Amino acid sequence: MASSESKVPLIIDGRRTDGRDMEDLRALRVEVGVIPEADGSAYIEWGGNKIVCGVYGPRECIPRHGASPYHALIKCRYMMSPFASLEEHSRSGPSRRSTELSKVIREVFENLIIAEKFPNTQIDVYIDVLQADGGTRTASVTVAAVALANAGIPMKDMVSAVAVGKAGGMLALDLNKIEDNFGQSDMPLAISHRDKRLLLVQMDGLLTREEVATILEMAERGCDKVHEVQADALKRFYQKGEGETFKW
Amino acid sequence: MNGTLAKGVRFDGRRFDEYRPIEVQKGVIKTAEGSAMGKIGETLVLVATKIDIVKPFADRPREGVMVTNSELLPLASPGFEPGPPNEDSIEVARVVDRALRSAECVDLGSFFVEEDKVLGLYVDLYVMNHAGNFTDAATLAATAALMDTKMPKVENGKIIRGEYTGMLNPTKLPVTTTMIKVGDNWLIDPSRDEERVLETALTIGTTEEHVCAMQKGKGSLSKDELMTAIDIAFKRGDDIRNILKG
Amino acid sequence: MERRIILPGEKIAEGRLSAPNTYYDGAVTYAAVIGMVDDEGRYIPLENRYRPAVGDVVVGMVTDVRHAGYEVELNLPHGGFIPTRDVRLTLQLGDFVICRVKMVNEVGDVDLGEVRRLPKGKIIEFPSAKVPRLIGKKSSMIGLLKDYTGGDIMVGNNGYVWMSEKSDMPLLLKAIAMIERKAHKSGLTDEIANFLRSQVGDKPRTPAGGEPQEGMEPEVGQGESGEETGYGSGQSESESSGDNYGQQ
Repeated sequence: MASSESKVPLIIDGRRTDGRDMEDLRALRVEVGVIPEADGSAYIEWGGNKIVCGVYGPRECIPRHGASPYHALIKCRYMMSPFASLEEHSRSGPSRRSTELSKVIREVFENLIIAEKFPNTQIDVYIDVLQADGGTRTASVTVAAVALANAGIPMKDMVSAVAVGKAGGMLALDLNKIEDNFGQSDMPLAISHRDKRLLLVQMDGLLTREEVATILEMAERGCDKVHEVQADALKRFYQKGEGETFKW
Repeated sequence: MNGTLAKGVRFDGRRFDEYRPIEVQKGVIKTAEGSAMGKIGETLVLVATKIDIVKPFADRPREGVMVTNSELLPLASPGFEPGPPNEDSIEVARVVDRALRSAECVDLGSFFVEEDKVLGLYVDLYVMNHAGNFTDAATLAATAALMDTKMPKVENGKIIRGEYTGMLNPTKLPVTTTMIKVGDNWLIDPSRDEERVLETALTIGTTEEHVCAMQKGKGSLSKDELMTAIDIAFKRGDDIRNILKG
Repeated sequence: MERRIILPGEKIAEGRLSAPNTYYDGAVTYAAVIGMVDDEGRYIPLENRYRPAVGDVVVGMVTDVRHAGYEVELNLPHGGFIPTRDVRLTLQLGDFVICRVKMVNEVGDVDLGEVRRLPKGKIIEFPSAKVPRLIGKKSSMIGLLKDYTGGDIMVGNNGYVWMSEKSDMPLLLKAIAMIERKAHKSGLTDEIANFLRSQVGDKPRTPAGGEPQEGMEPEVGQGESGEETGYGSGQSESESSGDNYGQQ
């Protein structure tokens, strides 16, 4: 991403290409219980991202010899649809990138899920990116936390995620796809809500120490806003009256 | 369950020839050329189309290519697992492909670009919640996605992404009607519970005038039963087409 | 009554509170699943993953017949087991049964006893967190459903609900779906009664007692106790409705 610096103007008159301030989130909407067949589910629209998450379990571990007698295994599959980008139709199935993201997302939830009470089982977290617009991994963590809450999987805390990056020489919260492609650096973070622990940390590009410190502050404020949307979605779902059905 | 059916009422209170509520919503995926969410009861299938430049098949050098794939997403059902497509997944893709192709609703002859280059139309079926009969929901969403598909602008043998010259405009509206035989009756649009007890399963694709696909699953049926099934398929197919024309 | 929705990780009480679906961390007890707190500070889970406890009543289906006993599907990661020596009746593959949990070992295997075979009918899934609501205070809700739909109903703590093929199943399913959707509301029994009356008129159908029951006493899982204040009070006082997740 750093190579193509400044070919595309990312900041004009202190505003970003989509008119946002440096600490504004893109439009964010979360809906709960969108996959009735799943034990828990949620859907997120974040900027141009559209991501659905379904949770199953704890259920019998397959294959059995992979099971642990001490805790539930958490299995996570992040997948990008072949039609998720404006570019050409991509290959279906897991890529090297999606394998890595599945792992880092799983490692977020291994910190939160109280797995010891479900020996010899697995909990499946399926995340499907239907439409991508930069920041899919952070949106995935955000939507998966809501789906897990909807499934009633015991967790120590909720988690929210957001990326902060450097675009047009300035630090900006919640990079969109253009900023992600043409910006200088990108740092996706997932932060637990109550005790503010970092559960996902990745970075690419170049940042100074001070910039990282600023990014962490910005991300924490950003995650608090994301948490409000998550909490609101769950509250709406559990308080909704009759006839309120979700529209895709 | 068979006891309830003998009374002429299905477990969920539907008549034998009654679909669950059908809904279709076009244009849900902005990165695709066309898309639609098809919903039959709680069964949910997303279909998106993408158009690329591809090499034509050697025996049809001036004709475009259509490819239909399906994903039974593991999040859609406790019975679906990650991994390469299984036979159910391959079957639904082939049945939907057959219905669309036989209906000749897409003029692949107009997809020629230049020597060795034609347009390729990808139709991706995403089964997102499986509460029974995802085949009909997939065909419904596929036809709706074709109606929603924009033709990309092509310049110097390349697609200009984000620019379009018009709509694909399918000339026919193929839909499928799936039914199962329980005792002497055809039950259309089986729920997951009903799929578990089916004796015979049959899918019939129709356009306004023609049957455009058939696929028998488990079991057997008589000629008369097949004819009855086709009558039902035309009737219910027209209902679905009316929803598509919306 | 004022009810507040709280998410996993939110504080429920100072000190150690021994309530299901919670955990404590030093001096504070936190929610582990999404739930509600009423104005008396009671925590009522809205979702949970059922974990069998000794004494629970469960409904299931026989999935394997072996020399040593019967394997029973209970909507759990692992099946339950009925040792042959503990039952007099002979069961067959596909039989529906209602039993009591006799033992749960550390890896989640469940032994069952006090087995009764259920007549022809159908099993559906119901969220185990809402089971006390489906049963009602002193089985009032179940009684209502039986009266108006003309057949017998058995509810397991595991969330499996057996219904007789003699009931008006479409009506019963509608009523059960309504209970699931409105489980967090007060005055639910009255609302369901009104709904059933609007569907079938004032006169209940065949009294449930008229149904041949193979010499079986009606029995259901843990219902609500005390005032009708949601489905929490029965849960927290019952030893059978799960435990907490301990120190984290």
